Amino acid sequence: MTRKPKDRRTFLKSVGGAATAVGVAGCAGLGGGSERDYFKLGAVTSLSGDLRFGGEVTQRGYDLWADTINEEQGGIEVGGETYEVQIEYADAQSNPSTGADAASEMINDGADAILGPYSSNVTLAVCPIMEQNSMPHITGSAESPQIWQEGYEYSFGTIPTVSIIGNEAAAALTNLEPQPESVYITAVNEPFSVATGDSMRAAAEEAGITIENYEKFPRNTDYTNVVSAAQNADPDLHLHGGHIGSHVNLVNAAEQLGYNPDGFLMHYGVNTGSYKDGAGAQAPHTFGATVWIPSVDREGGVLFDSPQAYADASQSAYETAPDYTQAGSTAAGIVFQEAFKELGAAPPLSQEDKDELIGILEEIEVSTFYGDVAFETEGEYHHNNINTQPLLIQLGEDGSPTIVGPEDSATDEANYPVPAWDER
Amino acid sequence: MVDIGLFTQIVINGLLLGGIYVTIGVGFSLAFGVLEVVDFAVGEYVMVGAFMGAVLAPVFGSEGIFAIPIVLVVFFALGALIQPLIHHVTTGDRPHPLLMGLVFTFGLATFLRGSVLTIFGPNNRDVPSSLLTGGVTIPGLGTFPVVRTVTAVFGVSGLIVFMYYLYRTRGGMAIRAIAEDRTNARLMGININRYQSIAYGAYAALTGSAGVFIGMTFTANPGMGLQYTAFAFFMVVLAGMGYLPGVIIAGIVLGLTQSFTAVYISGNVVLLVLFAIIYGVLLVSPAGILGKGEWAT
Repeated sequence: MTRKPKDRRTFLKSVGGAATAVGVAGCAGLGGGSERDYFKLGAVTSLSGDLRFGGEVTQRGYDLWADTINEEQGGIEVGGETYEVQIEYADAQSNPSTGADAASEMINDGADAILGPYSSNVTLAVCPIMEQNSMPHITGSAESPQIWQEGYEYSFGTIPTVSIIGNEAAAALTNLEPQPESVYITAVNEPFSVATGDSMRAAAEEAGITIENYEKFPRNTDYTNVVSAAQNADPDLHLHGGHIGSHVNLVNAAEQLGYNPDGFLMHYGVNTGSYKDGAGAQAPHTFGATVWIPSVDREGGVLFDSPQAYADASQSAYETAPDYTQAGSTAAGIVFQEAFKELGAAPPLSQEDKDELIGILEEIEVSTFYGDVAFETEGEYHHNNINTQPLLIQLGEDGSPTIVGPEDSATDEANYPVPAWDER
Repeated sequence: MVDIGLFTQIVINGLLLGGIYVTIGVGFSLAFGVLEVVDFAVGEYVMVGAFMGAVLAPVFGSEGIFAIPIVLVVFFALGALIQPLIHHVTTGDRPHPLLMGLVFTFGLATFLRGSVLTIFGPNNRDVPSSLLTGGVTIPGLGTFPVVRTVTAVFGVSGLIVFMYYLYRTRGGMAIRAIAEDRTNARLMGININRYQSIAYGAYAALTGSAGVFIGMTFTANPGMGLQYTAFAFFMVVLAGMGYLPGVIIAGIVLGLTQSFTAVYISGNVVLLVLFAIIYGVLLVSPAGILGKGEWAT
């Protein structure tokens, strides 16, 4: 068989025709006009890079929701039909701009809604993309107040802002006896951690406690210098905002230099396996902030009967005890599930459906194992769920957390002042 | 008013931090000086060494320091096996041999990081050693954290051993001859492959062992390698490319600069100051602070 040579015009016609066909097909997908018998959620999270630990936590949270609803109920029931949930992931690579690109990709792929990234940095980059594309978005793991102060219409969050979590945990710690007279505050210089440090400073100021210093520094700093400066100030408490690696470095340097304040309060991630494994013998007695742990005294709700039932499901699926970020991520899925039911529209959702979904989310009240979820529509933290009670926790000798504050939520007494490093 | 107690402690912190950098810089400088390989995998050797320490520590009753001899042997063997591959991609008729070596080791670094991430996951891992906990306080001077002091001693000892081997033994003379002129060294009957494998193996062994110490000082994390790669580059630029004794001076300069900047100016400008020094040295004295690096010849 001989191949007939094509002239340039014929070639261009062929390419143009093919490109048009691909474009039309793509537009059909974009408009959501194609048939689909499942809800398609896009999830943007960091599966590589510095934030991959947290990214995997959110992924477990989202997956546990989707797997449970699909296995136990066959999916989400809408108008007498049941539709499975499928989550497609895009890797933000711990980078805000990559996260924004990944979000655009998810939207172009025709997602019905988006589950949000891990970390405030990436979320701050993703939220404007959601606004531009009018795409409903719930994040289960971003705490920076900036996100909610922007007043985004299409973004919601199940975890209260750190301005509330950090503040109330620090306030609970400053109420312990003997009452501290001075604090030293440190924070890694990035939005979430600085917001954490700010919230702790506000708590100290409200309690009338002397703030010896409030120091911010980059992520890869050498903590002996931080500790030496703090040690020189000799505070009663050390409060720190950062992620897990920075906490580990801080307590290691404190142990090495014999820096012994009456307690360390650090946020985020004190009750994660990564902190416990990374800090080793230095982990016990550390104070942390959370809004949820498996032992919290709370009724269950949609999908999971109790916090412990959720923890057991996580242990069974991933051999990992969940923390509040994972729980908040699962709760984000549950909220979407209840909102889809109320919307009553079969997938794929049209733009009108998505706009209507926003109204439903603003009114929704869902009782979950994680707590009651309802989003703010007035006030400073727009679309943030601020209903969940922040808790002060402390790690025991075996690294497991117990609730030690505030007083009306505490299940155990704090070990305070904590023993000196050479007395442990 | 400068607080004298804080000042002396910052000096101690800076010197010991410099000691940690020396443990990495020595091997890296050797690899560049002798093999002319800019090894992008240096930080990942540190990371893998730290994870080996975390894995082996429980075997030795939670004493990571006892894992050092095993890590030394394993990394020496690993380095000796990898070096012929590097030699293969940086010799022959391949264009830009330095770039080839850089690309090869970059791939190696990515492979090592991905492997550890796959095997151990993203979590931090403690490298325990109760023998090296706490610090020794000298009144009027400050506190010397035991693990950091031992790490610095290890780095300086490694440098002394390397120097002794290079300048006092026949093997060292052979390695220096290879570094001077590979072709002539071969004509003199020196087994180039053998001595290059020894040099790269020694570099890998020292760097992997440094990883155990760094794991004990901080923690083991799959993402920790990149910052040590960056500091290894800083070290050889300040020390002078391939000039081993300069590594100690470079470590001290880096450590003290970092510590004093963090405490007396701001932690936020530490990297800015370090880069300013690096650029300054590159512009004014490209052969390093002491002017004895490779570019001086």
